[in-house]
Amino acid sequence: MARYTPPVQSKSAQIFDIVFVVGAIFVALWLPLKLGLAGAAKAIDKIDSPTWETLGQNATMSGIWEKLGYTPETAHDIIQNRFHYVIDWPTLIVMAAVLIGYFVFLFRASDKEFRDVIAEKFDEKS
Amino acid sequence: MWFTLSYAAWGISAALVLWMLFDWFKVDTTYSEEVLTSSREGELEAIAEEHRV
Amino acid sequence: MTSTPVSPSLTNTIHGDRVSLLRVLGPVHVWALGVGIVLVGEFTGWNFSADKGGALAALIVCWVVGLLYTSVAMIDSEVTSTVAAAGGQYAQAKHIVGPLMAFNVALFLVFAYTMLEVSDAILVGDLMVTVAGTEGLERHGFVVLTIAVLAWLNYRGVLMTLNFNFVITALAYLSILVLFFSVQPWSQGAVLQLGQLVTPENALPYGWIGVIAAFQFGIWYYLGIEGTTQAAEEVRSPSRSLPYGTMAGMITLLIAAAITWYVCASLLPWEYLGFTFFPLYDAARVTGSGALEFIMFWGTVLSAVASANGCINDAARAWFSLGRDRYLPSWFSAVHPKYRTPYRSILFLLPIALAFAFIADLNQAITFSILSGVLQYTFMSINIMMFRRKWPLGSIRRGYTHPFHPLPAIILFLLCCVTFFAIFLGFGTQLIAMVAFYFLISLWFHFYRYKFVRRGDQFTMPWPKPQGY
Repeated sequence: MARYTPPVQSKSAQIFDIVFVVGAIFVALWLPLKLGLAGAAKAIDKIDSPTWETLGQNATMSGIWEKLGYTPETAHDIIQNRFHYVIDWPTLIVMAAVLIGYFVFLFRASDKEFRDVIAEKFDEKS
Repeated sequence: MWFTLSYAAWGISAALVLWMLFDWFKVDTTYSEEVLTSSREGELEAIAEEHRV
Repeated sequence: MTSTPVSPSLTNTIHGDRVSLLRVLGPVHVWALGVGIVLVGEFTGWNFSADKGGALAALIVCWVVGLLYTSVAMIDSEVTSTVAAAGGQYAQAKHIVGPLMAFNVALFLVFAYTMLEVSDAILVGDLMVTVAGTEGLERHGFVVLTIAVLAWLNYRGVLMTLNFNFVITALAYLSILVLFFSVQPWSQGAVLQLGQLVTPENALPYGWIGVIAAFQFGIWYYLGIEGTTQAAEEVRSPSRSLPYGTMAGMITLLIAAAITWYVCASLLPWEYLGFTFFPLYDAARVTGSGALEFIMFWGTVLSAVASANGCINDAARAWFSLGRDRYLPSWFSAVHPKYRTPYRSILFLLPIALAFAFIADLNQAITFSILSGVLQYTFMSINIMMFRRKWPLGSIRRGYTHPFHPLPAIILFLLCCVTFFAIFLGFGTQLIAMVAFYFLISLWFHFYRYKFVRRGDQFTMPWPKPQGY
């Protein structure tokens, strides 16, 4: 196989590539934050006029909360802030499809490129 | 006291970053690009193979 | 290539035209790099697994995820003792799977480490503000200081950086041991109240689905141990030091994780444990001892600094390797002629880390980091299968051969699937957004960027042709 000679990339195109990658990184990390998609799916189960009892804390626990400087009122939002695990099948299927699709593409495209690399590296030698 | 520390933190950070930028500029203007980017993966192997290049 | 001593005159001087990274590190530095990055996970992060599943779930995942990482360490040791190049898993992927995979792996690495570095710096800043208790004090100054000082240290040379990391990692580790022995772990009830705090009713508040969900933050007990491989080009005898350092690091961490859970779960109610950012520091506060509080404050700070330090080191090497193969402009592959560090990569990643330290919060930064980590472990499990198939045992020289193949790879793969499901429980949309990003950037690389890459030159190992090609 003939040796592949890559085209020379101009300086401005190189800078553009860097800007593109950095831009993509920022969009990927910042957009979910902005759209409120990031972070945990939690909600507070409200209890009116909470006491350590109703918050389900025994004497040892409430002693520790008080040592840390909490009252039943201030601890309420921490204790009652719970996950609600519901398996949302459409999202799960989308997620699985995206993940599997991504990995399949990765391995197939990589393999194609890898064959070129091996061909050039080893056929030239012999 | 903590505010002074906080300002000192900013000051030290700025000084270090400026020093790095200065050193970067100095290195890039002193050495050629070929020398700076001459590192190759698996250096040892590369040296062993050099005879046939 | 196994432990060939390198004469200093060959690699340590500029031979008129060549300048490369310095081979100066030993197994101790590998340990310091691996454990240094990870240990902060005991001081913050792992405790969110209690949030997702309760105190008992945190213990279960501590062990099961420990198994996942033992597989990671074993697999990694075999591959990296054979493919010893800066960039670690990146160079592995390039030689075993192919260029596109390598590009993605390098991005996983840069993301995981940069976001971890950001989390560390935020942690230092938050802790300072908490301790100061001064009205109106902002954390930003301390965050910036952490990142800037460590970038400077990394810029100035790898040996000093990792010597420093060894000292502060050891001190942080020592602080966990001091806390453990001073709360009289042998007599429950004296200080520790495990029986009172973890009761049959609250041990698994969400049931078994909570245990699965807790996998996500269970990763944090050990995330980053695989970073040891980044030092491959700077270690004196990679095929010996890397497996040694990595395995020793893994054992150290398993002990630390178990101790940490035991102390924290015996001192803090699980709801608080799942909420706080400083579980060990708070555990020390609850004991009422000023000395312990002081020690755990410094333990937390040092572990965070050690972690950020290792992350800068690793992220910069991954980015540097991308430049060296022209996956990104080769400008990034410059080595500092005096300090022998990938100085342009270090400088380039500095403002990115700073930017995220300002816009992200701790929880989000941690989740980004975990996501990239798990994607990478999934790759590793498939990678080792391909490695053994393309180059069977005996066809090339391996520094270390891991036992029970393919069992570790299968375990790793299954646990990764469980972890993806765990992330889905509570953080699903974030995972989809993240994978969509990797997918798009892969398309860009495959169809555009790859044309600037020299084909055969990427394969640098002196190996025979792989089987099946």
